[in-house]
Amino acid sequence: MRPCESSGLHGALTGDPRAAAQSRNRAGNSVSANQIYHEAIKALATNAIGNGALASPHGRALIDNPLCGDRVEMDVRLVDGRIAEVAHQVRGCLLCRAAASVIGKHAAGADSGEIERVSQGISDMLAKQTAAPSGWQELDVFAPVHGHRSRYRCVMLPFEALLAALASAGGAVKK
Amino acid sequence: MKRALYERLRTATAAGASVAVVTRLKDGAQSLFDGERREGTVDLSAEQLTSLRRMLVADRSGVLPGTEDLFVRSYARPPRLIVVGAAHISQFLAPMAALAGFEVVVIDPRRAFASADRFPGVTLIDAWPDQAFETLKLDATTAVVTLTHDPKIDDPALIAALSSPVFYVGALGSKRTHAKRVERLTEVGLGEKAARIHAPVGLDLGGRAPREIAVSILSQVIQVRYRGEAV
Repeated sequence: MRPCESSGLHGALTGDPRAAAQSRNRAGNSVSANQIYHEAIKALATNAIGNGALASPHGRALIDNPLCGDRVEMDVRLVDGRIAEVAHQVRGCLLCRAAASVIGKHAAGADSGEIERVSQGISDMLAKQTAAPSGWQELDVFAPVHGHRSRYRCVMLPFEALLAALASAGGAVKK
Repeated sequence: MKRALYERLRTATAAGASVAVVTRLKDGAQSLFDGERREGTVDLSAEQLTSLRRMLVADRSGVLPGTEDLFVRSYARPPRLIVVGAAHISQFLAPMAALAGFEVVVIDPRRAFASADRFPGVTLIDAWPDQAFETLKLDATTAVVTLTHDPKIDDPALIAALSSPVFYVGALGSKRTHAKRVERLTEVGLGEKAARIHAPVGLDLGGRAPREIAVSILSQVIQVRYRGEAV
């Protein structure tokens, strides 16, 4: 298994030629464009938007990736079936932390159906290079991950956790 | 020994702490030290405290070096080796260290690696190191070695270890990897403390196989335990 931060993806993103040479990125993204993506991903991860825990969440889920150790704990509070508040605690790589940050930024107001649509959208974007799901254009920053199949789950993990948290809130919230 | 001090000593050892009783031979005055704090009437200089800590780490008793009338009786629990990363090297290091008298704990949040069938008879914690350290006390008789090869897991462990009184910190990785690691630790204000990290880890025995690297790591941990860092 390749350690998260030192994989070929890192080289493809940062323009490190040595690491890029090992890259298995089949999309052929240019290094300079990816450098911009890398800065955006780094900024998202560093800002950790929505980082924390909710005092009395309607739904809570902890999801991990047993292969790389990434862990996402996601809390949600709902009003009328829509996300009113979301908070996450992530121990993981840059991609995982960045994806959680996007959730912290955009998830408020969405219902389960919307989050399911976005999860499917980002999954397709990573695997098939489709466009980012509408309303969530910021997910575009993860486009260079295409081709690095072992890293798809790094981006998906926070969305899996959010869906699980919403599912766990199902019984707790009267619509 | 005064009854109050005796009770403190019993409580401390029962709680698994490593402590030393220092007796001033000329008048019988005593203090209890846990490596950081003191209870009792005998005080030590900073230099003497360092010597005391060295004796405590090695579980040695005797006259405190540099003095003639201070007698140290160490009550150290078995040394503990915390291995971060349920890697191939760890599969050899854990049983070897246990045979050598260490309490061994292996930590790895990657559940696929931290499985009981890969580490029979070893205390295994599948959590992030900083989380695991909340319950494991990083004290003066503990050594920490990071072996995951993944900075996102190794770094939090090193940050916690460098901010604690553990007697040994080692990290797997080449000189190049270590230089990058020191850069990251410098960014979080641990640049000076990073000099404590033994890297490349282990004594230079020449072996490359995981089981041989395990021997070199264990040798270095034992060496530092008895000889201190300056060898």
